[in-house]
Order: sequence, then C-alpha cells, then structure tokens
Amino acid sequence: MTVVPARSSKWVRPVTSQEPASAIIEIDRVSQVFQTSARKDHVALSDISLTIEEGAFVSILGPSGCGKSTLLYIVGGFVSPTSGSAKIKGHAITGPGPDRGPVFQEFALFPWKTVLGNVMYGPRQQGVSAAEAEAQSRALLEMVGLKGYESFYPKELSGGMKQRVALARTLAYHPEVLLMDEPFGALDAHTRTRLQNDLLNIWERDRKTVLFVTHSVDEAVFLSDKVVMMSKSPGRIREVIDIDLPRPRRRSELLLDPRYQKYIVDIERMFDESDEAGPAS
Amino acid sequence: MSPAASLRRVAPVLACIGLLTVWQLASLALKNDSFPTAIEAIRAVPDILGDRESLINILASLRRMALGFGAAVLVSIPLGLLMGRSRAVAAFFNPLLMVIYPVPKAALMPIIMLWLGVGDVTKTLVIFLGVSLPVIYHSFEGAKAVEEKMMWSGAAMGLSPAQRLVRIVLPAALPEILTGCRTGLVLALITMITSEMIARQSGAGNILFNALDMGQYDTVFAMIIIVGAMGICLDAIFERVRARLVRWSEPQFDMPLSFS
Repeated sequence: MTVVPARSSKWVRPVTSQEPASAIIEIDRVSQVFQTSARKDHVALSDISLTIEEGAFVSILGPSGCGKSTLLYIVGGFVSPTSGSAKIKGHAITGPGPDRGPVFQEFALFPWKTVLGNVMYGPRQQGVSAAEAEAQSRALLEMVGLKGYESFYPKELSGGMKQRVALARTLAYHPEVLLMDEPFGALDAHTRTRLQNDLLNIWERDRKTVLFVTHSVDEAVFLSDKVVMMSKSPGRIREVIDIDLPRPRRRSELLLDPRYQKYIVDIERMFDESDEAGPAS
Repeated sequence: MSPAASLRRVAPVLACIGLLTVWQLASLALKNDSFPTAIEAIRAVPDILGDRESLINILASLRRMALGFGAAVLVSIPLGLLMGRSRAVAAFFNPLLMVIYPVPKAALMPIIMLWLGVGDVTKTLVIFLGVSLPVIYHSFEGAKAVEEKMMWSGAAMGLSPAQRLVRIVLPAALPEILTGCRTGLVLALITMITSEMIARQSGAGNILFNALDMGQYDTVFAMIIIVGAMGICLDAIFERVRARLVRWSEPQFDMPLSFS
C-alpha cells in the first residue's frame, strides 16, 4: 500500500514512505461456512488472505451478504473461522481481547449504565482506579462532543449520540485496533456525515489501526488508506485499492478533488461490472 | 394536574367503590345468610385486625410467604439466566419444568405433607414451588434476549463468561426478571392461602376457613378483603422497588394493579 506520511504519535512508530509499515493483523486463507437448514452449506467467506499494517485505516467494502462483517468478527475473535487463521501481532486470535475494540452498528451500549458509566466500564475492568478512569472518560466524552451528557442514560440519547458514546467506550480501554462494523449504518445522512468527519479528526490525532466495514463507497474512500472490495457468494476479495489522497482530509476539499471523484467512479464501475447488484453508495 | 391525569388517579378508588356498591346491592337483593353485605364484611375487618391471635396468624402467613418467595427468587434467577445462556442447561431443565408447570402446586401438598409434616416447611416449600416457575421462565426469556453484541463488547473488555453472566446478562435481563418476580409475588399470596386451606394450623387461610366452617360469613368476607388488600399493598411496594431498579429501562405502560 502507499504509506501516508505519518506524524509521530504515541500509537504508531514513525514510518517513512520508503519503509514498509509492520503488519499488525494477518488474515491467512480464512474461510467461513455456515450450515443452513436445507442441508446446503452457505460459504460466507472463501479463502480470504489480507494483511493490515499498523496505523492504517482500512475499509472492507461490499454488498450485504458478502461476509464482510463476518471477517471483522473473526478478527475480533467473536467468531471462529471454519478454516484458516487470523493473527494479531503474530499471535493467533483465539478469542476477544482488549487489544481489539469493536464498535457495532447496533451501538450495544449497556443501557443500565449512564454515559459516563459506559465509558468507564472498560478501564475499570482493566484495573484502572475509579478516579483515573473517570477523568479519562470525561476527557474522551469531551473529545467526542458529549460534554454535559455524562449522567444521561443511553435511552435518552439520539442514535448519533449513542454511537459517539460507543466510540468513546471503546477508545477508553486503548485497543490497538478499532473494529468498526458499519458503525454509521443506522444513522441519518446528516448525522452520518458529521460522525465521519469527527471520526477522521480523532483518528488523525492518534492513528490507531482501524478496520472499518461499510457498504458505502464514498464513506470508504473518504475515510480510508486502503479499500478492500469484496464480492459475494462466496465472499471473496475482489480488489484492494490504495486511496492516495492527502491528509488531513476535509470533506469540502475532497468533494471538489477529481482524484476523490475518480476513486468513487472507478469502484462503483467495478461493482457494476460484476453480476450481483453493486453496493448502495 | 390535568383532568385526565386526576381521573387516572381516582380510577382505582372509583373501581373499589363500584365493586362494593354492586356487592352491597346484590347482597340486599339476594337476602342469603351466607352472603353478608359489604358493610357487614367491612365492619368485621377491625375485629380481626384487633384480635391478637388473628394478627399472629396473619404474620405467620406473611413470614412463610416472604421466606418462600425469597428462596424461590434466589434459586430461580440464576437457574433461569443459565438456561437462557446455555443450550445444554436449558435442554436439561426444560423438560423437568414443563412437567411441573401445569401441576397445581397445592395438589402436591398432600404428598409433601406425608414427607415433611403439616408445619411451616411444607407450606413454605409449596410457596417456593409456586413462585419459582414464573421467575425461572422470565429470567430465561430475559437472558435469551440479551443482545449478542453487548456480550461481545463485554468480552472485548476482558470480562470472563462468568463475569458476563453476572455483570451483563443479569442487569440487561433485570426488567424481564422483575416482571417474573411480580407475577411470582401474586402467586406467593395465592399458594400461601391454598396451603393453609389444606394444612390448617395457623395463618390467614386458617382464619378464613375456620370461619367458613363455623358459618361466620362476615368474617369470611372480611378475610377476603384483608387478603385482597395485602395483595394490593405488596404489589404497590414491589412496583416502587421495581421502578427504581429499572428506571434506566425504556418506559413501559405500568398497571396500577397487578394483572400480569
């Protein structure tokens, strides 16, 4: 991939464009077969191999049913692959762990906890003292734009706010990789755009590795360093495209940028060429 | 307060007055010795509550009920949650529970009496059985409905399966569990009275059925009023506790009285 000139930060060791970044996640010939009732096997993923470099923002793009979320769950350790293996930092993934933080489309907040309680949950579980966890969590909530909502319960928040809490809750326990499963899929267009901008701002600060599942072409191009295009039945990697656009990215600038437009047109055309319906953008 | 809201407030009171009026009129119309008027029955209430012996009986009933209910809740919630999260546990206990469910718990009482006598243990056990099933069932349903992604979020934070059961499944299923407990509370009252009807020694049921034997019908009906009032009070107290415990939950349509 094309390595974006990285700022030095506490998350990523500085890399130059000549030096290849180190792999943090390696997916090696992973297949996933689900048994369906009709005694016919459904191949969700077929022979997927993919390497993700540390500090990269990688999107997995494809139509619904191509197994892109399943691939994310395998990296998360929530689902075991039928065959093949996934590794993080050279260690085989055998289950979930705090080095990989998921953010789900369904938010999956703890409804019995306040906003602050949700964000503090991870650090407290890791043995951080209550005072320290609270201070960190308050700072994170301010960063995601939720200052003043600390004592609210999730049911009192809008979808966009819930997803901000979910992001803060995951960032709070410092995972090395963020696993985002169509995180903005349940939000209206306006809220989705705002959250994309905010996510990018946050990410450009600390450059955590992100694996981002989406079916939206412009979302994938706008956010990512690399877009992994998948096709369905069986779920396979079709194409891996490096998105060589400058950072920090501003939506207003990108929308006028012919390179950005070309990426979107090219990707949409590639999906159209295949037999199945292309993804909605 | 808006007129609609104040109407909602007084509606239960109006319902009680309406019921008592119908009772009074029906009793006057039928002129049957075994059907005292509402006023006669209400007059007999202070006589019962003023009598030391009767009060000891009623308190003994309440103690058995509290013990049976408490023990049932303590056993049933963990069992229901485990069944909801583990297919193997559910497969083992489901058939057993399905056999016990339709059997009226009071019907088991003669057998239990043979084993354990006619004392407190037998009656408490019957109450325990009566309360257990709805609490197990609702805990089971509540645990089953816990969002998988919520469990995954907990697992990613490093919660072990046991920790997830206590710290995610239990709180997430709490609204459903408490619905089961509320049903259980009403059933505790019912089984309490029926158990005392079968094994008469002491208790509220004992006062009721002794009065029936002696033809003191105003006392019989006064006891029915007292048991009904106990039910309403217990349910109101439980509802307050429930509302406080799950105030984070989505607002639900709550009934002023228990019809669950």
